[in-house]
Amino acid sequence: MIEVKYFGAVAERTKCEFEKLSFFDELSLQKLLQDLDEKYQLESLSFSVAINQKIVSKAAEYDLQTNDIVALLPPFAGG
Amino acid sequence: MILPEIGEDGQYKLSKAKVLVIGAGGLGAAILPYLAAAGVGEIGIVDDDDIEISNLHRQVIYKSLAVGKSKAGEAKLMISELNPLVKVNAFAEKLSGKNAISLFEKYDIIVDATDNISIKYLINDACLITNKPMVYGSIFRFQGQVSVFNYQNGPTYRCLYPDENNKALNCEDAGVIGISVGIIGMFQANEVLKMILGIGEVLNGKILVYNILNNEQQKYDFDKSDFQLMSRESFEEKYNKVEVEEISFESVLDEINSDEILFLDVRNEDELPKISLKNQIQIPLLDLENELENLDKKQTIYIFCQSGIRSKIAAELLQKHQFKNIKSIAGGVLAMKQLLETDINL
Repeated sequence: MIEVKYFGAVAERTKCEFEKLSFFDELSLQKLLQDLDEKYQLESLSFSVAINQKIVSKAAEYDLQTNDIVALLPPFAGG
Repeated sequence: MILPEIGEDGQYKLSKAKVLVIGAGGLGAAILPYLAAAGVGEIGIVDDDDIEISNLHRQVIYKSLAVGKSKAGEAKLMISELNPLVKVNAFAEKLSGKNAISLFEKYDIIVDATDNISIKYLINDACLITNKPMVYGSIFRFQGQVSVFNYQNGPTYRCLYPDENNKALNCEDAGVIGISVGIIGMFQANEVLKMILGIGEVLNGKILVYNILNNEQQKYDFDKSDFQLMSRESFEEKYNKVEVEEISFESVLDEINSDEILFLDVRNEDELPKISLKNQIQIPLLDLENELENLDKKQTIYIFCQSGIRSKIAAELLQKHQFKNIKSIAGGVLAMKQLLETDINL
């Protein structure tokens, strides 16, 4: 299982602030982002991605491990 | 001052500090009174807006009687009443590529209290040029973000959000309650004071995300990305690109024999008709970039080509290289020909 956290406009799109996802064999970061994109149509939203509290490149080659926490962090603009 | 982390030494550091706050809206209304009350020596406020009644629920330094007045002016008044020892400079103008660098140079710390993404990139880039830390704060409904960019050569806003064309919503569009901007503004003021006093851990390379509905907060680390740091030249190119001024040949007829003006023909040498004016040279557009050192940047230069298209490109090129007095002749030789029949050597 991994946990995915959503913030700001992304959470508004997913209608939840986090969810737990199970996976078999391997799940790369890119595959996860692709799956989330299909599920929630995130392509119009801009966000940075963190794994275990550390921002990584969306293009990073990374195989997710059990208990990883992924966060999608869009920029905010209010003030 | 009783706090051992601050003491007399800390109070002295505060009195010497100069902080520029961009935006006197919800975030600014939380940041400004605390900086002033703490005894920050000099505070600048940049905001070109006037107070609206719909602002009052979150911009709590303004009174209902002040609706219609300048935010920068009213914020200055508030600070002067709160702490007359603070030197306050109100700039009721919009931050732009033209004023950002000269403003930032006069301060130690720049606070981003704006509600506009493109201005955040401008603040970031001007902080890079002037080497100032940027204290970032921003809200989306019940969530806020805080970070400090470009501090001690740390990462910048562009390292966190490289995509400049993102479409994040501001408060007017997304809605906000006063308390969330208040809390995030307070976090920003806290970062400012920590930097001035040299205490605690600054949010350098870290973004704090706070949710006021469940009181959860998270910190995320991010690294400096390896993109080229912005140079002064690329800043000017991005924010202060000067439009090329076009003039008609008719309007320069009086000047064609002037020694003050250089006419630059950017056509290829085999193009007809040939033009020979008194003070004229020919450098084909493709060679121009390599010939720049043979031209005087202060010289007034009128550029022409066959129809006015290449001359405009040439003018842009020269302006990019800090040539000051450049004009492109609209319509080029085709337009000149009609007026100069007799002088043309066909």
